[in-house]
Amino acid sequence: MSDLRPTQTGPASASRRRFLKVAGAGMAGASVLTMLEARQAPAQIKGSTLRILTWSHYIPAYDVWFDKFAVEWGDKNGVKVKVDHIPHLEIPARMAAEYAAGSGHDLILNNATILARLYYKSLVDMTDIYDSLGKKYGGWIPAAKSPIEVEGRIYGIPMYYILLPMLWRKDLFEASGLKPPDTWELARVAARTLKPKGNPAGIAFSHCNDANLNWRSLMFSFGATETDPSGDNPTIDSKEMRETLRFAKALFDEGMTPEVFSWDDASDNRFLASGIASWIHDAISAYRTTESTNPAVFKNTFVAMEPAGPGGKRVSVAAPIVFLGWKFSKNQQAAKEFMVHLVDNDKEGMIQSTGYNMPFLNDNAKKPMPILGVDPKMQVLQDFPKIVGFYGYPGPYTPQIQEVANLFVLPDILTRVARGQSIDDSLKWGVGEYRRIFAKHKRA
Amino acid sequence: MTVTLSGGPESTSRAAAQRVSWRSSVTARWRTNTSRRLAFGYMLLAPAALYVLLLVGIPFLFSLYLAVSDANVGDQVSTFVGLANFRAAWEMDSFWDALRNSVVFLVVAAIFKSLLGTSLAFLLLQNFSGKKLVRALVVIPFTLPISVSVLSWKWMYDSQFSVINWGLHKVGLIGAYGSESWPIWLGQPQLALIACIGVNVWRSFPFSAIVLLAGFTSVPTEVLDAARVDGCSFFQRFRHVVAPMIFPILIIGFLFDTVFTLSDLSVVYLLTAGGPGTASMILPVLAYQIGIQAGSLGRGAAIALMLVPLLFPALFLMLRNLKRRDW
Repeated sequence: MSDLRPTQTGPASASRRRFLKVAGAGMAGASVLTMLEARQAPAQIKGSTLRILTWSHYIPAYDVWFDKFAVEWGDKNGVKVKVDHIPHLEIPARMAAEYAAGSGHDLILNNATILARLYYKSLVDMTDIYDSLGKKYGGWIPAAKSPIEVEGRIYGIPMYYILLPMLWRKDLFEASGLKPPDTWELARVAARTLKPKGNPAGIAFSHCNDANLNWRSLMFSFGATETDPSGDNPTIDSKEMRETLRFAKALFDEGMTPEVFSWDDASDNRFLASGIASWIHDAISAYRTTESTNPAVFKNTFVAMEPAGPGGKRVSVAAPIVFLGWKFSKNQQAAKEFMVHLVDNDKEGMIQSTGYNMPFLNDNAKKPMPILGVDPKMQVLQDFPKIVGFYGYPGPYTPQIQEVANLFVLPDILTRVARGQSIDDSLKWGVGEYRRIFAKHKRA
Repeated sequence: MTVTLSGGPESTSRAAAQRVSWRSSVTARWRTNTSRRLAFGYMLLAPAALYVLLLVGIPFLFSLYLAVSDANVGDQVSTFVGLANFRAAWEMDSFWDALRNSVVFLVVAAIFKSLLGTSLAFLLLQNFSGKKLVRALVVIPFTLPISVSVLSWKWMYDSQFSVINWGLHKVGLIGAYGSESWPIWLGQPQLALIACIGVNVWRSFPFSAIVLLAGFTSVPTEVLDAARVDGCSFFQRFRHVVAPMIFPILIIGFLFDTVFTLSDLSVVYLLTAGGPGTASMILPVLAYQIGIQAGSLGRGAAIALMLVPLLFPALFLMLRNLKRRDW
């Protein structure tokens, strides 16, 4: 017969401790599950303040949504969220000031000028959430790591990128029996044909972001490269680059007017909206704004795939947008939690930006994408993720390339050629500038 | 009294006596009106000296330190590199373009500001109805936030929608948009620099006018009347009576203007960012692009310091002239 008395397993105090342990673990587990269920962040971020510095988006409605989205996340998680918007060109100066002061925002957005490699020693390592988000959403597009990876670690979270496709006037092309601008050669023929009819084409040659981005698309599609895959050596002194410059000179002479030397980032938008442009190569904000400013132009403007170069290659150079976080931030946990929440709502962001924000994550880039998938004119943008590249292509987006871009060396090479300087002399000057900048960074 | 080299009670008492006499002489000197006034003067000057030291001296020394280091925005450690940053700047074509443009910018802007400022000051001296309103209006360019005013000018210089071009076209001076004679203000190399200088002059000449106006009103009317009685013409009165009397004000105004013009980053940066090519590049813009945007603080500081050799001789000559005139 068995003894029915309870077995003494240890001293009474140990049982209490064990009870507390088990109960505590159970409560913690339940809390985590509840938090996950409710998409809540850990308790330690409650009562904290998250300060976000971001740009003034070209689509103002996106900013309205973002601010509300951030505050709502904060309310749900007991975090006070403050969002500051400044023009994106002012962000580098603000970052320098915050770095010097050792205080500032917890999250800072970088647009086109990505400073992760410059400040990485003072930035939060975000490899963990980058990897987990990649796993969750089918991986990142190949170009995603380029601006934020340093020595195998990730120092920012890519949010979205801005495409600059070819925006062309179908009515003008058809009236002159021209084919859609599927290659750069077809685009040149169209510009040459339509300029005498009062409809020139336009790409900025001036000191603006558009010039840096657009001419690189042409250059890389022509097979030229900016650096070797390591990013340590400039490679612009090539046969393909000379061909690019020859083509750009012809394109300017035959199909553009000198006003392209004076343009800022919004000038080509106005050029398209005025009804004069036959085509421009610009972000879709140019297309969107014509919807209200010139509906007739909007109706006849179409979005084309990135034109192919002579060898059939297509590379679309986009402006990446990433979030970085300071190491000195006292609220790194909340910053990371917010990043994850923002990426989880990537598709909503795309909708709010009216298709302007392009996703870095493969699952979000699957067809049909929000907005783009249902707009017949913009469906072609869904094919861009596989041809997207950034400054420095095929190498990474390094500080030396950033300096080359900040000093507008590439647009200046093209300006020299367009203004009549020989291709050899212009390229010699440009190669000298590249080498000087690269040598300085190598010494540092 | 015997003096012993080895010391002793006698020498000790003598030293004590000397100390007492030194103290009493210091106290006596302190008690004089002159010394008290001197000390009071230094005391009054101290805040200004401290202000200059904190807000001018320390940043200047810090920029000197940056210029001889490889300081970078993302790196807290920097090492001494001697004159390498200056050599790197001299090797850049764009540096020499920026230096040349800075000098042209300074000289041309100074000439136009002097002419327009003087004319405006004379106009504002006249008696006419609404004088107070006009005086208030002329300072508007100077008081408007620079980003707002430059943005307006950017629109006026727009390659397609320029109101200046529209006006010139309407009066028949230029052809229609798209014609050869249609100026691209910010896209043609010479015009881009002229356009930037134009905005700088527009913004700053009211300041010159107000400085001159203050000087003109300080000239006693009796002196001018006496000159008039002696048969001096307007220009003779200006040349031989007014100008020498307001010379210190002129020099101080000119000094301010030189410093403001040479260090003016905003107008060029917002209008052209130094383009097209390097046609309107000036030293402050180049220093900003390299130092802040590209993050090379050392080289940016070296380029910014190149303004000092430009400014220093001008300042030295002007201040020496002022001192010689005993003002």
